[in-house]
Amino acid sequence: MTEGTNVPEDLKYSKDHEWVRVEGGLVVVGITDYAQHSLHEITFVELPETGSSVEADTECGLVESMKASSDIFSPLSGNIVEINSNLEDAPELVNEEPYGKGWMFKIKPSNLEAEMSTLMDAKTYSEFIASAE
Amino acid sequence: MNAPFKRTQLYDWHKKHGDIVPFSGWEMPVRYTDIREEHMAVRKGVGIFDTSHMSRFFTKGPQALEFLQTMTSNNVRKLEVNGGHYTTCLNEHGGIHDDLMLYRIDEHEYIWVTNAANGPKISDHLKKHSGEFDVKVEDRTNEITMIAVQGPKAMALLSTIAGRDLAEFNRFTCNLVNLSGNRVYVCRTGYTGEDGAELLLLDTPCSDEGKRRAIAFWKLLLEQGQKFGAKPCGLGARDSTRLEAGLVLYGNDIDEQTSPIEARIPYAVKFKVDPHYIGYDKLKRQKEEGVTKTRIGFVMIDRGVPRDAYPILLKGESIGRVSSGMMSPLLRNGIGLAYVKPGVVEEDDTIEVDIKGRLRKARVTKWPFYDPEKYGSARSQ
Repeated sequence: MTEGTNVPEDLKYSKDHEWVRVEGGLVVVGITDYAQHSLHEITFVELPETGSSVEADTECGLVESMKASSDIFSPLSGNIVEINSNLEDAPELVNEEPYGKGWMFKIKPSNLEAEMSTLMDAKTYSEFIASAE
Repeated sequence: MNAPFKRTQLYDWHKKHGDIVPFSGWEMPVRYTDIREEHMAVRKGVGIFDTSHMSRFFTKGPQALEFLQTMTSNNVRKLEVNGGHYTTCLNEHGGIHDDLMLYRIDEHEYIWVTNAANGPKISDHLKKHSGEFDVKVEDRTNEITMIAVQGPKAMALLSTIAGRDLAEFNRFTCNLVNLSGNRVYVCRTGYTGEDGAELLLLDTPCSDEGKRRAIAFWKLLLEQGQKFGAKPCGLGARDSTRLEAGLVLYGNDIDEQTSPIEARIPYAVKFKVDPHYIGYDKLKRQKEEGVTKTRIGFVMIDRGVPRDAYPILLKGESIGRVSSGMMSPLLRNGIGLAYVKPGVVEEDDTIEVDIKGRLRKARVTKWPFYDPEKYGSARSQ
């Protein structure tokens, strides 16, 4: 299944299958193509509240698919500055464009450098999901 | 525990076209494309399911009726030849040992069709009790392919193949029909809430020839079904359609610790029966003295998707638990079945579902969850 799975070169990845993109001083977070493909029909997304603080590796939201309920973990610590409210009415965007319109939230990171170094690059993440098969 | 998984006659087709998952000892397709699309095909056109994993026991003999009445809670005497009904098999405490469809195919012959997971247990149960009666019980699960054809256009599809109007058979009948050279029991029943049939395709054992015949018939249904909007459907859509219809699933909504009275399936329970079935006295007492839990349906008011075992609360007090829940593809809202203390809530009351520590409001409602004027077998044509 990892064959054909999209793992963009310019992102960082967590072991919980979130991706991270640094944009200016903020970090955009979503779930990976591998994650959305494993979950299949995503029917519901619950995101952290704007203004709330999140801790790295802790649960901060929920993705529901037809067959399963999965927690979203924040890959980094910081404050939630924006969430993708389009996902409330169109959770299928996560299936359709996991790295684009299906993004989930933006964090103003509090410990960016140290925590980024714990995330995987595209090559390492590709190996990680291949070994999980 | 590590016994090899069983495969239906249609497995090779499923493997090529769908996602296979383990289910009750079988390798079955959970989806072919998208569970929601398959679900909507059932509600608007036709959904075609392989249900060959279900167990099929043939019971034959002069005392078949008496034997089956001892085993099941509906009134077997009311079952006419070529009729079928939904019923339960109880344990001595009145808990549900199994829920099943019982079809009478001849004066002294019946087919018991049941949950895959319960097959071995029911096989033992029937063997254990049949000795006292002049009957023969035969497990013919592996000789027959079973296919459910469900949806508002299901009977039109089957009539096209039969070259005659099969909708003339009433709901809850079971007739032997020639379908494209195959001997098929057309049972006008299902597990989706929709009109349609469950087909028992005879003479299709798990041999190369049997598989070839079964797959040819399956393909015929799909080809002829194109103009009726037919789609092959996996276990995902089977679960979602049954839940939207408010139909119970063994292991989730009913089990050995739950009676049909608690499950609110009164049509499966009769008390004017002779002889009395196992569990009769316990059930009668429940009916007279009341039960300690009762099944309700609910639809989410707040956003959220209920799942099995989530706590149900009323004004902060725990009153029960979810037994089945999901996002309804039709309503695009969370729906569920739950067991709660009897008498504490009624229709339209607001309850709370504890979704991972967050209390979300829901409204108590009756089933089916869809508008029966627009969907389901009783819809206006």
